[in-house]
Amino acid sequence: MAGLEGDDPPEAEDRADPHGDPFLRTRFAVPARPVTFLRRERLTRHLDQALRTPLTMINGAPGAGKTLLVADWVAHRDGLPVAWLTTDATGDGPGMFWAYLLRALRGVGVPLPADTGVPADANRVSPALPARLAAELSARERPVVVVLDEFDRVTAPEIAEQLEFVLHHAGPGLRLVLVTRTEPLLPLHRYRLAGELTEIRGAELAFTPDEAVELMDLHGLRLPPAALRALVERTRGWAAGLRLCALAAGQSPDPEAYLKEFEADRSAIADFLLGEVLKRQDAQTQDLLLRVSVLDRFSPGLANAVTGRDDAEAVLARLSRGNAFVEHLGHGLYRLHPLFAEILRAHLRMRRPGLEPGLHRRAAEWLRRSGFLSEALGHGAAAGDWGFTAGALVDDLAIGQFFTGLRSDAVAELFSRMGRESTGPAPELVRAAGRLARCELDGGLAHLRRAQHELMEYDGTSDEAAARLSCALLEALAARLTGAPARAEDAARAAERLREAVPDDLLERHPELTALLLDHLGSTRLWAGHFEKARAALSTVADSAPGAATALPREDSLGRLALIDYLNGWLGRAERKAREALLETERFGLPRPSGSGVERLVLAAVAVDRDELGQAQALLDTLADTHPAMRDPVLRAGRALTTARLHLARGDPGAALKAVEPEVPADVVSPWARGGTTLVAAAAHLIEGRAETAAGLLLDVPEEQVACAVGAARIQLATGRAAAAVRLLDRVRPEGRAGPAVTVRAALVRAQAADEAGDGVSARGLVVRALEEARRERLRRPFREAGPWIRPYLGTAWPHWLTTGRLAPGAGPPRRRHEPPPPVYEELSGRERDVLRRLALTMSTQEIAADLYVSVNTVKTHLKSVYRKLSVNRRNEAVRRARDLDLL
Amino acid sequence: MRYEIRVDGHLSEPLIGVFPELDHVEMSGQTLLFGHVIDEAHLYGLLARCQSLGLRVLEMRQIPE
Repeated sequence: MAGLEGDDPPEAEDRADPHGDPFLRTRFAVPARPVTFLRRERLTRHLDQALRTPLTMINGAPGAGKTLLVADWVAHRDGLPVAWLTTDATGDGPGMFWAYLLRALRGVGVPLPADTGVPADANRVSPALPARLAAELSARERPVVVVLDEFDRVTAPEIAEQLEFVLHHAGPGLRLVLVTRTEPLLPLHRYRLAGELTEIRGAELAFTPDEAVELMDLHGLRLPPAALRALVERTRGWAAGLRLCALAAGQSPDPEAYLKEFEADRSAIADFLLGEVLKRQDAQTQDLLLRVSVLDRFSPGLANAVTGRDDAEAVLARLSRGNAFVEHLGHGLYRLHPLFAEILRAHLRMRRPGLEPGLHRRAAEWLRRSGFLSEALGHGAAAGDWGFTAGALVDDLAIGQFFTGLRSDAVAELFSRMGRESTGPAPELVRAAGRLARCELDGGLAHLRRAQHELMEYDGTSDEAAARLSCALLEALAARLTGAPARAEDAARAAERLREAVPDDLLERHPELTALLLDHLGSTRLWAGHFEKARAALSTVADSAPGAATALPREDSLGRLALIDYLNGWLGRAERKAREALLETERFGLPRPSGSGVERLVLAAVAVDRDELGQAQALLDTLADTHPAMRDPVLRAGRALTTARLHLARGDPGAALKAVEPEVPADVVSPWARGGTTLVAAAAHLIEGRAETAAGLLLDVPEEQVACAVGAARIQLATGRAAAAVRLLDRVRPEGRAGPAVTVRAALVRAQAADEAGDGVSARGLVVRALEEARRERLRRPFREAGPWIRPYLGTAWPHWLTTGRLAPGAGPPRRRHEPPPPVYEELSGRERDVLRRLALTMSTQEIAADLYVSVNTVKTHLKSVYRKLSVNRRNEAVRRARDLDLL
Repeated sequence: MRYEIRVDGHLSEPLIGVFPELDHVEMSGQTLLFGHVIDEAHLYGLLARCQSLGLRVLEMRQIPE
């Protein structure tokens, strides 16, 4: 499958097929009919039904004449758009299949809007793609006929499912014709029962004696009726058998006698006839046919490469005119009929044992020279020459295909067959890439070090730059996965120097390399807390030209930019960017859990701050299945922190502590991750009444992270150190440096401090301003966690947006049903509950005593045991804790 | 598990070579391919191989070990 001339597709997205090669135009070409093709009216008339039923299936054995029947029918459908797609020999994953099908549709002038999407992942497509395609087709006035030839090669059940979905929803806008050796996995019975299936099966395709007469006629053979009947009987009307027979007989001096011989012979028909026809070719032609049998599609140039001669052009032209072996696909490309290719390969193995790997190797070299990388890789692998194959990938600068784009699974699968024996920088780099793509850090690093070592000893051959650049990419990825900013910077600098030495067209052809490198660099900087430098690298990726090859790093970069905004307290911005990243995912048909999923993490974190806890949980749950190569410390820490904050919001400090307990392994400490972890732990200890432990932890919180400093001030305040909290805020000055999620919290700390100091006026002013600022961002969590002191300031004017229907003033948060009840060590007595309830109404000890008709001392006794049972020290905490435990 | 596959016609030497893992015997215009089949995947693979070579499968059955 190679040897295309220039292609001039209109859109950038279309220029490269998912394989990264020019679209293989022959896959869209309606096969040409040989001069000896016999048009059979009964079949053509039956096939006309295809325009009246949504689904048509032509099935029959290889060589039954399925493809030619449909090709001929299509050639006579003037004016009706017919998209033809021949399935690839290696079988397509869903991503590849849909990418080609969309291209086929566009190729025949079916307008598909850009938002239909382009698959960017080899094995998955987003459910939005079939849905949008179906919607588009259903709006058509005239149907488009889609012919899928050799559909038996499509084995992925989800393709059949998606196709069925499109067919069902496209209505009369789509007429699907499947040409296949085996029954497809579509619910045929349903279509059959509803009269919506046109079926032409093997028995109908078989030649009748009358048709056989006409076919023989076309081959210039006139046979007596008896001989013909016998022939039809012997071949069971099998088209390929009849054709081969005509060829063999035509080349024999006495055709009739020959046919008698054939009739008497007891060999398997195709086997026998092919042997006969082959025998009658001259030695060079036989040799060529045997050798090209290892190729799927070939140009004369490629055929010459495997024969080592230069006569392929003439031989192929002659063969394609005369017989059924060789089909001309147009654009100077040929292929062997699949049935004969199979038998010829069997002959090749028998007659020239051991020749096959060498043929693959020659084909691979020719394809590599001619710029068909993926085909070259396939043949290189088939030859078992891994040094060559790995070298081809690395020298083409295509190592990024391990991580992104439609080829990633295919590349990984191909090289998974590579044994341990091949050595050198390229195989080591490929091994490292394979391991790192699966997040096997140790194995990946070991191979990467070996590659680097070998490259050092390499003495400056020309292609070294590509290998070194590949090395830099993998080094950057390894640095990202281990949280090692210095190494990432080194790798990026090395890559910058090496770019000069690499041909421009290579870099242009592989935009994923640069995108991945910068994404790794930006992500590592983000881990180290260098937000501005991280933003610079990530923005470059996010703003780069869209395309399937870079969809994954672009999505990831956008998600990480969103995370930076979130960490700086800008919820709205973070949300917008995260949604943009999700959109990117969808546009390129990436499946939901495709990239790192960092954008969903950001959305979850935003949801926690907005007190939309169910939403947050749902988003966190979808994070389970992320791309292994993107599971870096940023994602791990972010996930642990968000999970912990969700637990805190739900009043489960124990679970929160557990969530942040396992340390995220990394080379350097991340200031925001450490600060965040410490604050979560401190908050949890505080809730559980261990104020001293909480206060002790604060030493670990870095002040230069504004959000962390504000969090620390809150804890200080809660542990009774209001003055220290305010001093800290005065030092850090979050106002003007961070977004509302930080500044609102800071304002509330100041307000509470003012309240405790008895300065109600300042407190009210601060709360009002905080509310104002929080409203735009729907930032609810800080008010929820502020405690009862804030209630008087919110007063009757408790803003509607703040309640979200579940948080009315004075009402505790209803506990979610699926949540385990938080532990209470000792039940409160009825009287203690009475006291606690009045405490929550901000009644003083005297008022409670009066209300309950008991002495002040009795109330104090009750309060003491309430504090002890709830593990708290103060009234505010007791009320908060009681709310969290649903005791009120 | 052991299987035998009966196909129509006698097979040439190259075609027999396509089933190196199976034994074969020819009888009255048919060929019996038989031997150990590893699993279902192998079984379907054998069937696909027959189809791709244009062989007509007449019978296929499991035989006692």
